[in-house]
Amino acid sequence: MLKDIFIKQVAELKKLWQNKRQLLFQLLNLAMIVFSALMIWKGLMFFTKSESPVVVVLSGSMEPAFQRGDILFLDNSVHKVIEGDVVVFKIRDREIPIVHRIMKVHEKPDGVVELLTKGDNNRVDDRGLYAPGQLWLQREDILGKAVGTLRYVGMVTIALNDYPVLKYVLVGMMGLFVLTSKEG
Amino acid sequence: MHTVWVRLNAVVFFGLTVLLGLSILAAVSKIGHSKHHKPVVSRLELNTLRSLKSHGGVDRALLSFDLHADLTPAFHWNIKQLFVYVVASYSTKTNPHNHVILWDKIIEAVDPPEAKIIEEDNIFVKYALIDQTNELRGKEVELKLVWDHMPLTGMLFMGSAEKLGS
Repeated sequence: MLKDIFIKQVAELKKLWQNKRQLLFQLLNLAMIVFSALMIWKGLMFFTKSESPVVVVLSGSMEPAFQRGDILFLDNSVHKVIEGDVVVFKIRDREIPIVHRIMKVHEKPDGVVELLTKGDNNRVDDRGLYAPGQLWLQREDILGKAVGTLRYVGMVTIALNDYPVLKYVLVGMMGLFVLTSKEG
Repeated sequence: MHTVWVRLNAVVFFGLTVLLGLSILAAVSKIGHSKHHKPVVSRLELNTLRSLKSHGGVDRALLSFDLHADLTPAFHWNIKQLFVYVVASYSTKTNPHNHVILWDKIIEAVDPPEAKIIEEDNIFVKYALIDQTNELRGKEVELKLVWDHMPLTGMLFMGSAEKLGS
């Protein structure tokens, strides 16, 4: 059955290539969808002042509150983060963002704060995770404060990360579908 | 077109839209709850200051406190758990604002009703009160009980009650 569908899609693509106007139309369709998605994402980034307004929880260190696969909505436009806030931060020069809670806040007279974090499900605080010699986090290390959550939706991202080939399959399929669908 | 792909596409995206709609409804349904149902904190006071020592150049206090609080009113069907913690706040010359979590506890919605009422005396701190400098002596420390509502779906927010201890 899969082969039939594949043959059908190839036939559609061939037809499309012959009708250049139709092809252009479908390409524009695809471009509209891609750009709309991009606009929404960039818009979110602007309003939350965060480089990553939606993150997927990757580890179990905040269980039972947040499980692997939950998504978190972040807001970085808050000026101050206080103790008890669940925040997402990145250690300098490291790729992976971490979702933990702020345990200690020490604020200096000029407003600079030093923070210590810990995962709810971890026995010890995060000093062991920070860069060598780093004892505290600064406000700049924080990507945003978690303000909302949705369960399970992030599973897709985790699957895509664990099996990168799925990314190409998914994008390929979606692109193919948009190119060959005849709905206007 | 009535191919399998179209049908699958329709089912999946409709399903996702419904899921999103329901999630938003769930989140919205309990917006006014915490205004009308407030947990009662009947006692939050310092019990004993066990020690206040200088440890590697910084002051470190170990203490115990009493906590009597009934957190049952904060729960409703969209709450998965409450993250309850005691914050110590104080001010020193080097750092005008210090807030340190001394003790925390996770109370899940699925826990039995007794677990949602805390009536303990002489609770020892989980995390020592460590200052960044050695200016902790003689400072007023305010203890506050805060609980973080962690919903099944929706917004995260805190509720709190104040009690003084020094």
